[in-house]
Amino acid sequence: MPIHNLGYREWKGELQSTSTRWFVVADIGIRRAWQSAWLRRMMFFAWVPGVVMGFMIFTYEQSAKQGGEVQDIMSAGAMAMVTYESPELIYRRIKQERILTGSRASIGEERHIFWSSLLLILFRRSQPFLLIPIVAVIAPPMISQDFRSRAFLLYFSRPLTKVQYIIGKAATISLYLLCVTMFPALLLYFVGVLLSPDISVLSATWDLPLRVILASFMIVIPCTALSLMLSSLTTESRYASFAWFAVWIFGHLTYVVIRSVANPGDSSMVQSLSLYETFNDLSSWILDPKLGVTHIETRFILLAVLTAVCTAVLYRRVSAPMEV
Amino acid sequence: MEHGRAMPHKETQLTMTALIELRNVTKDYGNFRALSNVDLTIRPGITGLLGPNGAGKSTLIKVLLGLVRITVGDGHVLGFSIRTSADQIRTHIGYMPEDDCYVHGLSGIESVQMIAQLSRFPATEALRRGHEILDFCGMGQERYRLVETYSTGMRQKLRFAMAIVHDPKLLILDEPTSGLDPEEREAMLNRIRILARQFAKSVILCTHILPDVQVVCDNVVILAGGSVRVSDSLDELCRMPNPSMTVTLSGNRDAYRDRLTAKGVQSEVMSLRQLRVFGEVAVLNEPLWSAATESGCIVRGLSPSKNSLEQIFLTAVREVQSANP
Repeated sequence: MPIHNLGYREWKGELQSTSTRWFVVADIGIRRAWQSAWLRRMMFFAWVPGVVMGFMIFTYEQSAKQGGEVQDIMSAGAMAMVTYESPELIYRRIKQERILTGSRASIGEERHIFWSSLLLILFRRSQPFLLIPIVAVIAPPMISQDFRSRAFLLYFSRPLTKVQYIIGKAATISLYLLCVTMFPALLLYFVGVLLSPDISVLSATWDLPLRVILASFMIVIPCTALSLMLSSLTTESRYASFAWFAVWIFGHLTYVVIRSVANPGDSSMVQSLSLYETFNDLSSWILDPKLGVTHIETRFILLAVLTAVCTAVLYRRVSAPMEV
Repeated sequence: MEHGRAMPHKETQLTMTALIELRNVTKDYGNFRALSNVDLTIRPGITGLLGPNGAGKSTLIKVLLGLVRITVGDGHVLGFSIRTSADQIRTHIGYMPEDDCYVHGLSGIESVQMIAQLSRFPATEALRRGHEILDFCGMGQERYRLVETYSTGMRQKLRFAMAIVHDPKLLILDEPTSGLDPEEREAMLNRIRILARQFAKSVILCTHILPDVQVVCDNVVILAGGSVRVSDSLDELCRMPNPSMTVTLSGNRDAYRDRLTAKGVQSEVMSLRQLRVFGEVAVLNEPLWSAATESGCIVRGLSPSKNSLEQIFLTAVREVQSANP
């Protein structure tokens, strides 16, 4: 046989299972998205908060050897960022509690509070502001471009189902979103464990990685479904980008306006207008239930309904080109 | 793991002489009937699928690929049911769409590799096979460029490469030569011929270019108004109902014709130098030559008269048009 045969040859190898076809779609999607320089820059910045907080954990753990003062200050600062209260007030409260109880809380308990506060800051203060533009870069062309270039004829004339196609596209967005939410938070946790002076840290904080995973998926799944649905509604990806930003910005503005004008007593339904507030409340409840977030079931139902509706519309839109 | 040459279910192996068997297939899109009671059997070889715009060709292809659910009827492609085994069918069929379709942001080789992987090839093997097929399709270094930058002809070749990369048993090619220059068109038809003759691939060639069909096809199916109007071998279709021969002459045409009449052979004038002579070739052989000798004419050409494909196509289409004015 020649080294390089320019003619046609039959192929007699073994075929792979059809169940992994979605992976091909995801692989292509991930590689295409990574071609964007903007995405690479944003992914780089997504890890910066995690590194900063890793340094804070390092300082916190090192100060444990020198007494509780530095730890108290850092705890007050972290909790202030979570609860939106004055750090000075929280610091006084910690001190007052010490005087009343006459002793410090266990180191494990304090550590759990501090670490979960840091993770909450990560989820509430830094990552949403990266998550929104990252999705705006990746998701809009995902399906709209396939419609425009009629690539669905190539996909669906192969042994690939519509569900596998959607899973492949969703996996692409989910992976990048997990790189912004779950992976930095888990890295932060493991850095904390490695920097801790004693092994008891594991028994005190074992639940945090599980909470991080749960909180991440609570954000990633609805965001993926919503962004893919928006992408499937148009052949112009920029319209999907506008719609994505509009959902976040106008939803939040509406919530702020209604709250400031009407000042509703029970604001859970109004708050649900803002995806930012909804995700904040959910992640707060998952990462630190002691924060006392109320009406959490309303948020769960809302996100479940949003995800279900988006998925149904998405499936219908993906099926539509074949029915003409 | 499944071998590249998977066999269909046992109960359908009996019908393997027919690649495609459709029975009473009807497809409705809402109130619009795209296919109406289609009964069709396609045997191995190259089959031309012809029909005017809106005849139902695209719908028929989608039905064959299992992309749309049929309203009524049943059928088998390569022995697999179109109702229940769409995945199996798509594994063994190569489809080249007419539309300009590509995956945005991929180079030519990446596109072919992706299609091979979707057709269940392992990643490395898909890349190797992709290069091999692009070589066969005459694509050089342009395979490393983004598909968006390709010319129409290059995209056409790329779509052909994507259709054959997984070594399918049956190829469905929708307008494979449209948009190609004469040289590329000839090369494309040649590739189709090679696949069919040397590698025993069956091909369904869906086209409006009738000379292409005449050159490469063994069988012809003409679809009009959502139903099959003609389905037969090309030779059979082109054969005239009353056998005749076309004689090209130089010399006195009328004298030659008189001699033929005297020998009891009927003829008609086609042009200044051509006559159509009616009768079987074996019977005509002797009087044709003796009449030429007697009249002092020279027979320059002698060929059996045939129906042209264009004539057959127009007749089939006009039948439908007159039935549904």
